[in-house]
Amino acid sequence: MSIYLINKICYLAEHDPELREKLRRDPAAAIAGFELSEEERSAFLRGDVAKLHELGAHDYLLGHLRRYELLGLTREIYTRRMKTAQSK
Amino acid sequence: MAEIVAAFGVPHTPMAPGLVEREGPNCETARLFRAVAQHLEAVGPDILIVFDSDHLNTFFFNNLPTFSVGVAGRTEGPNDSNTILTRRPVLVSADLSNQVYRFGVQQGFDLASTQEFEVDHSIMVPLHFLTPRMQIPIVPIFINGLAPPLPAAKRCYALGDAVRHAVGAWSGRETVAILASGSFSLEVAGPKEGVTDQEWMDTVLTSLAAARAQELLEKATTERLLAAGNVSGELLNWIALLGVIGNRRPVFLEPQHGHAYAAWRWDR
Repeated sequence: MSIYLINKICYLAEHDPELREKLRRDPAAAIAGFELSEEERSAFLRGDVAKLHELGAHDYLLGHLRRYELLGLTREIYTRRMKTAQSK
Repeated sequence: MAEIVAAFGVPHTPMAPGLVEREGPNCETARLFRAVAQHLEAVGPDILIVFDSDHLNTFFFNNLPTFSVGVAGRTEGPNDSNTILTRRPVLVSADLSNQVYRFGVQQGFDLASTQEFEVDHSIMVPLHFLTPRMQIPIVPIFINGLAPPLPAAKRCYALGDAVRHAVGAWSGRETVAILASGSFSLEVAGPKEGVTDQEWMDTVLTSLAAARAQELLEKATTERLLAAGNVSGELLNWIALLGVIGNRRPVFLEPQHGHAYAAWRWDR
């Protein structure tokens, strides 16, 4: 159930400016303290929002990563990647 | 005895305030919000009960109520950052919010409550357009429309019915209006973003126009709502509104994109 933590990181990206700044500067360090599975950690760090959504992360929350353009997720990149997600 | 006198439904598109600022008072969005605002001003309710779906801002998966009433004297918002709106205080009717919560629980409707909370754009955008002076106290009733499992449409309708009874049993003498906030077909940041489910829009609009709530309850399964978009569960706010007002026909109903603007008045 560690997908909860992916959702939480996305929530914090919107509501915790300090974590948002850390995600901007050094994403791997920013999420080091969260007990994610390796699959989740790797998908998060490469900005693979389709994979995270397939793993159960809420797409509305993933959208916060796009709004702040974290992990290289510009509007175009995020939207293109998300459209490749397989529906659950 | 308190009396319910009108009901209104609007979207809460976070971009709408910025759009209207750029395009001016004659753009479509400004005109549609103004049409509903004029109905609201004509009725002049003392309190606005708002059915709203929080976007995982006020509530999160650590503590996620299916139904919750904000029981307080005030709140503040927006607590999210997707609109140009700046934070403002909002009056909450302490007495009526407490009545809705207590009456609901006592009558067997197991509502959650929150006594310290903020609200996101889904309450602040409608208020920005409908009550820009923020002079009317609200009673926020939160329905989980975004994070499955969503409550059943029939349960949301029953919630509306319970709210009507709560107002009827209240000792206050105020006039009360209902406001539903949200879209019928919208996907935000998900794979289906940018796609409006026109067939679902037509179904919802037909039911609303003809005041056939029961028909809508049958059709609005969680699967159908989510097929229309990841925030299309916001329709449940409108269904709760229908539970309050019963089978009344709207005096105003205008669709736009994946949502609509509506007003129900008893005096017309």
